[in-house]
Amino acid sequence: MTRWICPEVLLVLTGVTLILADALIPAGKKGWLPRLAILLSSVLFGITVWQSGQPMLEAWGNLFINDGLSSVFKPFFVLCLVGVTLISVRYPMGREETVRAEFLALPFFSTAGLCLLASARDFLAIFVALELVAISLYLLAAFHRTRVASLEAGMKLLVMGGLSTGFLVMGIAWLYAATGSTEFTRIILEQAGRPASPGLLLAIGLILTGLAFKIAAVPFHAWAPDVYEGAPTPITAFLAIASKAAGFVLLLRIFGFGAFALDSVGWIFRPIFLTMGIATVTLGTLAALPQRNLKRYLAYSGIAHAGYMLLALGTLGESGMGTVVGYLWAYLLATFPVFIFVQELERVHGSADVRHLDGLGQRDPGPALGLTLCFLSMAGLPPLLGFSAKLSIFTTLWSAGEIPGLVVGVIMAVVGLGFYLVPIRAMYWEREPDVVPAQRFPSFLVWILLLAGAAQLILGFQPRPLVRLVERSLAPTVTGIPQEK
Amino acid sequence: MNLSLALPLLLVVPLLGVVAIALGAAPRKTALWASWINLIPGFLVSGVVLRQGEILYGPEVTNLREVFPVQFRLGLDGLSLPLLWLTLVVTVAAIGVARADVKRAKEYFLCLLLVGVGGLGAFLSVDLFYFFSFHEVVLIPSFLLIGIWGQGDRTGAAWRMTLYLVLGSLVLLVGLIGLVWAVPETARTLDWRVLTETFRAQPIPATQQTWLAILLLVGFGTLVSLVPFHSWAPGGYASAPAPAAMLHAGVLKKFGIYGLLRLALPLTPLGWKEVSWIVGLMLAGNLLYLGLASLAQRDFRWLLGFSSAMHMGTIFLGLIGGTVLGLGGALVLMVGHGLSAALGFAVAGEVGQRAGTTWMQDLGGLAKKTPKLWFYLMIAGMASIGLPGLANFAGEILIFFGAWSAHPFLVAIAAWGVVLSSVAMLRAIRSIATGPISSALEAKQTGDLTGIREVWPFALLTALLFLVGLVPNLILGPARPVLERLLQP
Repeated sequence: MTRWICPEVLLVLTGVTLILADALIPAGKKGWLPRLAILLSSVLFGITVWQSGQPMLEAWGNLFINDGLSSVFKPFFVLCLVGVTLISVRYPMGREETVRAEFLALPFFSTAGLCLLASARDFLAIFVALELVAISLYLLAAFHRTRVASLEAGMKLLVMGGLSTGFLVMGIAWLYAATGSTEFTRIILEQAGRPASPGLLLAIGLILTGLAFKIAAVPFHAWAPDVYEGAPTPITAFLAIASKAAGFVLLLRIFGFGAFALDSVGWIFRPIFLTMGIATVTLGTLAALPQRNLKRYLAYSGIAHAGYMLLALGTLGESGMGTVVGYLWAYLLATFPVFIFVQELERVHGSADVRHLDGLGQRDPGPALGLTLCFLSMAGLPPLLGFSAKLSIFTTLWSAGEIPGLVVGVIMAVVGLGFYLVPIRAMYWEREPDVVPAQRFPSFLVWILLLAGAAQLILGFQPRPLVRLVERSLAPTVTGIPQEK
Repeated sequence: MNLSLALPLLLVVPLLGVVAIALGAAPRKTALWASWINLIPGFLVSGVVLRQGEILYGPEVTNLREVFPVQFRLGLDGLSLPLLWLTLVVTVAAIGVARADVKRAKEYFLCLLLVGVGGLGAFLSVDLFYFFSFHEVVLIPSFLLIGIWGQGDRTGAAWRMTLYLVLGSLVLLVGLIGLVWAVPETARTLDWRVLTETFRAQPIPATQQTWLAILLLVGFGTLVSLVPFHSWAPGGYASAPAPAAMLHAGVLKKFGIYGLLRLALPLTPLGWKEVSWIVGLMLAGNLLYLGLASLAQRDFRWLLGFSSAMHMGTIFLGLIGGTVLGLGGALVLMVGHGLSAALGFAVAGEVGQRAGTTWMQDLGGLAKKTPKLWFYLMIAGMASIGLPGLANFAGEILIFFGAWSAHPFLVAIAAWGVVLSSVAMLRAIRSIATGPISSALEAKQTGDLTGIREVWPFALLTALLFLVGLVPNLILGPARPVLERLLQP
């Protein structure tokens, strides 16, 4: 019985409940619907955390498994959902106010897909889960029908997402052709100790291409800034964090934890990962420098972060895998609060231009301090959490002997500090704001940002809790085959 | 009572000050109180160090077989003791010099206290993670200090300094990662005390040592403004507000040298010998190139910036001399330079306040107009050129003796460096202090330092300069056993 109380089922049920509630209750009394959504998502987060402590469980005939990796990432995705719901209810919808319930409910379905993805260990399951995520996101990105930018974002996401799905399906088809199966365990048992066939390599290459779109890695990154800028901010946050993390979870599952951590495959993909990582870090960092719109800025910052994680992933070792897990959590904790802020900035000022930060340090010292800590954490400055994350990237690269990656990573970390200091400078340097807004930031925002800043400091100074999380994710039994290296 | 609790207290007291200021306490008064009160745990730990040789705080060293084996541990011994006091005293003096009526006083004093905390933490940390982190903590407050309250090309200076220092720190970080990774996995730890023992029993292979030594040299060297990684320093100091320049030139710059003493010398001894000719070239660059550059300066702040960067050359000479004498001299000179640079920037700040400029040709007659300020200007200048009786002389002479047998040629260059710095400093003093009272000084309503309230930071630094200069054994005594151990194979 308890196996049905899993996050995926509950998420779908909640989504359906929200839509039904919207249809059933009379028009005047819908005010409590957003609150219900926040409440339910928080409860779901609690349940997910509780569930992730449960013993391992396989379900639906080996399609899904609860292992270390999924138990670390399901709470991650549901936490994203809580954040998204929290800001979705405040997103100004204009004429689309009547369909707010759908706007709130769709992320629940998308998150269900993400949770399935974290557990999937069959390529068919992965495909289905990924489509559940993606289709909800196409709708959400274009949700603001009256804004051209939103429509454009939806369109771009749809085309690019469709293209990436095409690559993925093609890859899965080739995989089936080359190995006769789509299930991780079977494939790895069959391929262990054999040289990889060209068909298998092509298949994995195609799958990697499909996933590179999801994580916005160079050269498949071009959609990200436009889509991030145009999509409603809650959805941008979801895309930038949850969707990107999903891509990495799959990469971890496929290339890290067993399934394709075969030497016969690894020696080809290791240099590809590292080259992609170097290109992604460099482009993300350099292209972020001239950005003046905070959403585009965060898009490029996200690309740079993806590059760092690709570098760590490219070492194809256990420490690289753990590093990516820790880095994703650090990324979530530092980036989400900034997105929450960006939405409030848009509400108050009408756009997410960096110019609107001028003088914030004096007007609103609380949010300014929290933002500063988050930005510095993203830049990887000690003693903040981001430093521990970057440190473990550098350590991984050093111990794997990947000196080119290390050198580029270090240089780009310096350049990166340069662009993370831009908003900080805007907030504290003595420049007067061009327009003092009539509205003030809501007090909950102050508290969230201060809390987030404090989390950066505390976890940075004592990263033990995160280390525990990483260790748990590193104890997977996907295939029963011992880890390599 | 367990006195080792006084070690974290050294960090907690100023942080409490930070919190109090953030919550609305009177900024200058709170900062001043916090930094004075911090002397109490300072005395406590010094007592223990003088009696027992060292004091430690934190959990036992264990070999954490973890992804991330970090443990918060503090320690103090004869080598870090003088630097601890340098930090404490310069922080007090810097906050003493800072004006209460500065714009945005709250953030100003908050940043100053944070810079002090960073320095303290770096000198006290035993775990490399915190050792590195505490130094980095300082970057953002000093970025803001220069950017918001600075003068001249403050924006450019702030960016240049911050990014340059981060680049240096990251090179250093790679070096530290390499050091830790050279330990066999069974003994992996981030505690430099344990690392020292481990590597003494089981040295790193020679080629690897060379690479690590180069990484550490470039990393720490950037932080110390060793030529050719110096270009952030003079401009940064010239643009920084006086208290920030005092803390930076006086205290934080010493972190790089301290790091080399702590890590490069004992952990990569062969590598350090191998690269010492590079160090020799670089330090000659500091002494001659920066010495000549300081001759060309027309602004007193820039002159101080260049001369402060230049004196690092002499300290490095002590580090490659390979004798306890030289190392001891380097330690004394670190303290002496810290005090004299702080005094110099404090005076420059006061002159700038009074005359509205620090262009030397626009100044003149300071001796007549403000005799007290002139007195401290003389002290700072004389200390910096190495007048006997002041701390810098004691350090320099020990370094020259200590390095003579290994590097006589470099000692000769260093002597020329002394000449260059004397010429530059004396010319500066002549044009600022003597002659008719300049229009800039005349026009402004400028009084001398008035009363004990304004004089004490200057008097404090001066007194310590004399104390260390006359009794350098105060520093050398406790440090000697530590330094001897550093050089043991």
